[in-house]
Amino acid sequence: MRDAYQEQLDELADSLAGMCDQVAEAMEKATRSLLEADLHLAEEVISDDVRVDDLRATAEEKAFAVLALQAPVATDLRTVVSAIHGAGDIERMGDLALHVAQAARRRHPLPVLPDEVAPYFAEMGRVGCELARKAGDVIRTRDLARAAELETDDDAMDDLHRHMFTVLMDHNWSYGVGPAVDITLLARFYERYADHAVAVARRIVYVVTGRMPGPLTV
Amino acid sequence: MPPDPLPRQLADMAELLAQMCTAAAGALQRATIALLDCRERLAAQVVAGDAAIDALRAQVEEIASDALLFHAPVAGDLRAVVAAIRAAGDIERMGDLALHVAQVAERGRTVPAEVRDDFAAMDAIAVAMALKAAEVARTRNVVLALELDADDDAMDERHHHMFGVLMDEGWTHGVPAAVDLTLLARYYERFADHAVIVARETVYAVTGQAPDAIPI
Repeated sequence: MRDAYQEQLDELADSLAGMCDQVAEAMEKATRSLLEADLHLAEEVISDDVRVDDLRATAEEKAFAVLALQAPVATDLRTVVSAIHGAGDIERMGDLALHVAQAARRRHPLPVLPDEVAPYFAEMGRVGCELARKAGDVIRTRDLARAAELETDDDAMDDLHRHMFTVLMDHNWSYGVGPAVDITLLARFYERYADHAVAVARRIVYVVTGRMPGPLTV
Repeated sequence: MPPDPLPRQLADMAELLAQMCTAAAGALQRATIALLDCRERLAAQVVAGDAAIDALRAQVEEIASDALLFHAPVAGDLRAVVAAIRAAGDIERMGDLALHVAQVAERGRTVPAEVRDDFAAMDAIAVAMALKAAEVARTRNVVLALELDADDDAMDERHHHMFGVLMDEGWTHGVPAAVDLTLLARYYERFADHAVIVARETVYAVTGQAPDAIPI
């Protein structure tokens, strides 16, 4: 009986980690569609988002089954509750990747980003995907050192985000209001994506240590 | 001390969620006044007040954990507990978004005259939605919950309209103001989105289904 129970918990962790991989791939493709004005790729991200939503529904069903059938206590109970939170966070990451792809589609065939800011978004995309994959690792391995890495990565994302605003607010900004509005929202999408990944990892730290390592930003 | 019976815990959580919604509504309303009337001290009060909403969330989560631990609820009761955990997260986020509006006001940013009415309108819609979500949490009124979807459409229209104004050739306030207003408008829109989700969570707790599946 205990084995079947452990198996259920493992399956729950696997489905959450799988969601992380899925939204990492979504953000990778969305970023590429943004940088290369690739309509086809943007549409792929947009149509694939329902798969993340389905994965969330499946993960939640698993969590409910454990709660209803096993009535877990202590660490196991915290694990299941954190999985319910985590599934919501990761689904939101998928939505944010979708928003990036929608921006690429809305402006197609024109590029959304002036050449000057494109490298920052390439970097935000890279850091974001890294965060999502690491969050998946943390769910699978409960490795606290790995969880701590997410905090550092998130600082890098915050720096990039802040820097974007400096660029936009500068007197030398010559691309007008329209691109500035797009870039403001896009930078926010990446920043929020990172926040959700950090929240996922922080909840795992809480499950393992019983202490929340910092404020939940989401 | 023995834990409260489950029905009592469910009622307590519903009441706390309603209080959280009301607090978030009040926070956004005051943040908007601070923003539109350049009242930096009022903005600072909103910022300081956010911790109270976070504390309410912690209380909801604590009761929810006790409910799961001591009563091992199933079926509708289990859904109600999980929905409360999730709704508390959404309402806390509404508080954070009100805080973000207040932080913009704290920095002494002003809203240009031609978009003041838009922000006042977004505020009115968002605050009414949060109060409606409070009512839904308290009464579990599924029909009222469905109204929030239509309210959210009104918000989306306002939000969309803002972009039209900012992107217009006639916009004379420059890029920095446009950047601020873009984010501000987004805060109101997300606040409303979360109010919709809170109501949806209640529908789910009551019926076991997403609102789209309800034939009303």
